[in-house]
Amino acid sequence: MWREYAPLWPFLRRYFGSTALGALCILLSVGLKVWIPLLIGDALEAFEQWNPAEGRDALVDGALQSALLIAGTALVVALVRTASRVLILGNSRRVAADVREHVFDHLLRLAPSFFLRNPAGQVMSRVINDLRVVQSLVGPVILYIAENLALFAFCLVVMLRSDPLVTVLALAPYPFAFFQARRLALRIQLGSAAAQNALGDLSTKVDESLSGQQVIKTMALEESDMAQFEARARHYRDLNLDVTKQRAKLVPLMLGLTSLSTLIVLGLGGLRVANGQTGLGPWTAMLMYLGILAGPTRTLGFVISTLRRGAASLQRLFEITASEVEIVGPPAERRVDFTPGELVVSSLSVVHPPISEQPHLEGSMPVGLDPELADRERAVLRDVSFRLAPGETLGVVGHTGSGKTTLARVLARQWPVARGVVSIGGTDINDVAPSDWRRRVGFVPQEAFLFSRTLAANVALGRPEALREEVEHAVRISQLANDLDQLPEGLDTVVGERGVNLSGGQRQRAALARVFLLDRELVILDDTLSAVDTHTADRILEALEEFLAGKTTVIVSHRLSAVKHADEIIVLEEGAVAERGTHLELLARGGIYAELWEKQERHEAECDELGIEITSKET
Amino acid sequence: MAQDAVRAEGRERLREGAVYDARLARRLIRYVRPHQRWIWISFALLIAASASGLALPYLQGRAIDDYVAGGETHGLVRLLVVFVVLAVFEFVMKGLQTYTLDRAGQDALVDLRLGVFAHLQRLSSRYYDRTPTGRLIGRVTTDVEALAELFSQGVVTILGDFVMLAGTVAILLWMDWQLALASFAVVPVLMYVTMKVRFKVRAAYTTMISRRSRLYSFLHEQVQGMPLVQLFAREQESADGFGQINSELRDAQVESVWWESVLSAVTELIESLTKALLLWAGGLVIAAALLPDGSLSPGGLTIGALFTFYGMLERFFRPLVDLSQKYTVMQNAMTAADRIFALLDTDDSVPEPRDPVRVDGCRGALAFEDVVFGYDPDNPVLKGVSFRVEPGERVAVVGATGSGKSTLLRLLSRLYDVQQGRVTVDGVDVRDYALSDLRGRIGVVTQDVFLFEGDVLENLRLGGAIDESRALAAASALGLDKIVARFPAGYREPVRERGRNLSAGEAQLVSFARVLARSPAVLALDEATSNVDTGTEELLQGAVHTLTQGRTALIIAHRLSTIRDVDRILVLHKGELVESGTHEELLARGGVYEHLYRMQYREQEG
Repeated sequence: MWREYAPLWPFLRRYFGSTALGALCILLSVGLKVWIPLLIGDALEAFEQWNPAEGRDALVDGALQSALLIAGTALVVALVRTASRVLILGNSRRVAADVREHVFDHLLRLAPSFFLRNPAGQVMSRVINDLRVVQSLVGPVILYIAENLALFAFCLVVMLRSDPLVTVLALAPYPFAFFQARRLALRIQLGSAAAQNALGDLSTKVDESLSGQQVIKTMALEESDMAQFEARARHYRDLNLDVTKQRAKLVPLMLGLTSLSTLIVLGLGGLRVANGQTGLGPWTAMLMYLGILAGPTRTLGFVISTLRRGAASLQRLFEITASEVEIVGPPAERRVDFTPGELVVSSLSVVHPPISEQPHLEGSMPVGLDPELADRERAVLRDVSFRLAPGETLGVVGHTGSGKTTLARVLARQWPVARGVVSIGGTDINDVAPSDWRRRVGFVPQEAFLFSRTLAANVALGRPEALREEVEHAVRISQLANDLDQLPEGLDTVVGERGVNLSGGQRQRAALARVFLLDRELVILDDTLSAVDTHTADRILEALEEFLAGKTTVIVSHRLSAVKHADEIIVLEEGAVAERGTHLELLARGGIYAELWEKQERHEAECDELGIEITSKET
Repeated sequence: MAQDAVRAEGRERLREGAVYDARLARRLIRYVRPHQRWIWISFALLIAASASGLALPYLQGRAIDDYVAGGETHGLVRLLVVFVVLAVFEFVMKGLQTYTLDRAGQDALVDLRLGVFAHLQRLSSRYYDRTPTGRLIGRVTTDVEALAELFSQGVVTILGDFVMLAGTVAILLWMDWQLALASFAVVPVLMYVTMKVRFKVRAAYTTMISRRSRLYSFLHEQVQGMPLVQLFAREQESADGFGQINSELRDAQVESVWWESVLSAVTELIESLTKALLLWAGGLVIAAALLPDGSLSPGGLTIGALFTFYGMLERFFRPLVDLSQKYTVMQNAMTAADRIFALLDTDDSVPEPRDPVRVDGCRGALAFEDVVFGYDPDNPVLKGVSFRVEPGERVAVVGATGSGKSTLLRLLSRLYDVQQGRVTVDGVDVRDYALSDLRGRIGVVTQDVFLFEGDVLENLRLGGAIDESRALAAASALGLDKIVARFPAGYREPVRERGRNLSAGEAQLVSFARVLARSPAVLALDEATSNVDTGTEELLQGAVHTLTQGRTALIIAHRLSTIRDVDRILVLHKGELVESGTHEELLARGGVYEHLYRMQYREQEG
């Protein structure tokens, strides 16, 4: 059972010294605290044995002395206790912060597929809500355990010394209660894991709704949106109440335990006192110690349930760090830095495993999935091969879902690939550290995500130290420069979630501009101009030519004009290469490409965006 | 600097102090009231449990004095039976009480969550323009969780603590009023200390929650943009950013721990001091009972009574210690409540008319009259735009990115309100319709598509709002059925969060079908720029044609095919309407439109 807490150990160890000191403080405070009833007991016994003949002063002085001793002890207890709490609870916050950082660092290394599979809300809920539970596991629980173990030990020793028989009998019900508590505790753990999942799901829903709020409003989707939220909120409530039911059973169990012990001491001990086998003083002291133990025993219920809830949350949290970093580099000694050269892809096949076998975080699996569907695997790329000499351009075209993006992702090392499939300059892609690879390969993904910072900072994402002129140049190449005067502060306008919302096309052009600031040997563009109108796209392509000169380039596009000048074009059809050749060869062949080209030509004549012409007229 | 501001604001709030908390509490109670049945049951259970709990030490004292000390064992057994009955009663009541209380709390939290969510739905787009989503997610989830603690450990338990306290005080007074008063002497000290620490605790919590909020929004953005962070090797920068925010949060938490610790230690200190005081006073009282003849006066303080008194004192302090610990929970909850209510008080929703116009049908006449509007009011995007769309007429709007095209639709569906002029539907200002009426009447299709997690059919049916047959008919009318047939699970194909597993074109068709199934009188469509492959493109074109048949349509057009298909074209340029007419008329006029058309032609030739 303790193995579940093992992942916490490295984090706890860092604060071992101060935690140990805190524990020491606890021992001290407990020892002193236990001493107080002893003092009171002694004083009471003195009262009883007081012979009125000794006079009033003897009694009053004795009482005053005891009182002062108690007060002094109490003062020390307070100081030591404050210290112990500050140390131990403070450490729990530090441990939580360290764990949070650890999880975040791991997130930084996880492959994009992780973020595709697991909604942001679920991930965030783990880092925040589950960590809160873990925090109360580390702090209060350690505090309670240390405090109460010591307290139990102290009380036990004192009680055993005053009447061993009654003590043993009084504590006899404890093991039985623990056994019962353990069963409840396991149910609490399961229930709590389910509830935390539901909370993650709730966060995901809120995230989804808030991100889509404009669309929800204009399309009047509020009601169904609310219904979905409500279902999740109620589900979360039900799961919480399930946990409460188990917790509620723990309460009488623990209360019953203390009452049973008191009963035994009161009855059996009382009889022994009445029969003169034990003194009245030790007996009352014993009752008082039981009274002291009553508190910790009652909170034991809380400790047990927090421990189990903590275990559940811990598991959820470390499920993230246990998620495989799919793109791993070679071990440091085998790390090779590739020499630029021919990019060779031979027999690349990518199969998506069945959804049910994909490594989802618990709770991120789509619910109500047709089991048959979940077990189906999907071939995304089949036996794709090509060679690309340095400085040459490969065009990749095909219908939606033909595997173009997956191919781009493999080349950008966002997708793991077996050895011997992709190599550059004779070096296998798996022998290059992912960070080295990314430093030499420029990839512009399809979705253009902007961070909440200025447009300039967004463009300079890969090279924050870039000069202003360089950023301006990059923005010019991507044809974003003309749009700048629409932005309140031009390049210094804050964009992204907390800033001005750019149109899809503007976002894509900003994202594209990022790559112009980087000096990369291999450039991969994944349908980077999909939201840009044809006319602007053509002008970007023109400008791109200069930038791409001498660079090995892979251009993925659904728009054939983007790949027209490529040295080789491959046409993907359901993951396999259906046709390959130059633009002219493919046209001559009269196959899929030729058909697509004709369609697009006809189309393009109609589809040009008019608005852009107004802009171009002005410039 | 921002934190200083937060702190200053926190101090400001604290100054209003107790009055403010009482107001927060009253608002919270509003959410509890519908579930008060559970609260009362819980409260009754608590009283019953506490009463029997209070009797237990009394029985112990009796056992000592009456039986054990006197060596009488027969009565002891009887007394023990009573003890058992009361004890069993106490813990069963406590168990039930734990459940009923949480039941009330959880029910109240669901209501609160729904309230917050509904409020978020009403908030205007302007609000979202300034507020990061990450923060708001935390408000609905984590902040509401903090209140769960208040409900499950707070309210009733606190009330119960007070009742218990009152009961104990009464019993203590009845037992020995002198000793009792001596013991109570410390209470004012306790209250003073608590009050002092309270300010510190609250300020610490306010700082902590606002930092947690920052962590939330940072994390949100990073998780969403993670692939990019990696792609551009910004990991170190992200880790540093997170480390910074994280350690600030940690520091705030450690500070609040400090004050919590002080408070709890002080309460216990006072407890022990009281016991010491009592011992001394006990000695005095017993001594005072000493009669001149050297014997004790009858009816004086006995050891048994003193013992019972100690037992009662434990019961007197337990709620006080509990209260001091709950105090921090309460402060935490109140800080969270404060933030939640601040959100609920944000009156930034699109105002609903007091007396909305009731209309049955909709002819579908649209008009923009001298509309001036800017997202930043000083920087207008639309500068006095006027046009009319007759019922059944199909009108396209063309113009450059940023010319204000999409804004027209946002004003029509009242995501934003005009600054000057007005927008009317059937001659009635859009601001005079109930929002739901307005938005139900106009089928708006935005460039972005919003799909719910679920499956394709659920998305078409909007979770059941639309008949399955209607939804399917709409889907096949638009050719979506052909695409769906390619999905392994057909209409039951799962749609992941925000439809990220569907292609843009597929998602768009689903969104079209959804609108068609509702068959609105007016269609307002923001055509997506051409981000789909040719096949889907053709499907979409056909779909647009089908959609616009027989209804008033205002289309933000990006395709020449659409433009040729409409009755009239409006040319928007830098926030002004520069031309209007059919494709042929505009060409013949030889204005901006014609110039464009020619330019495009020439460029294509070149």
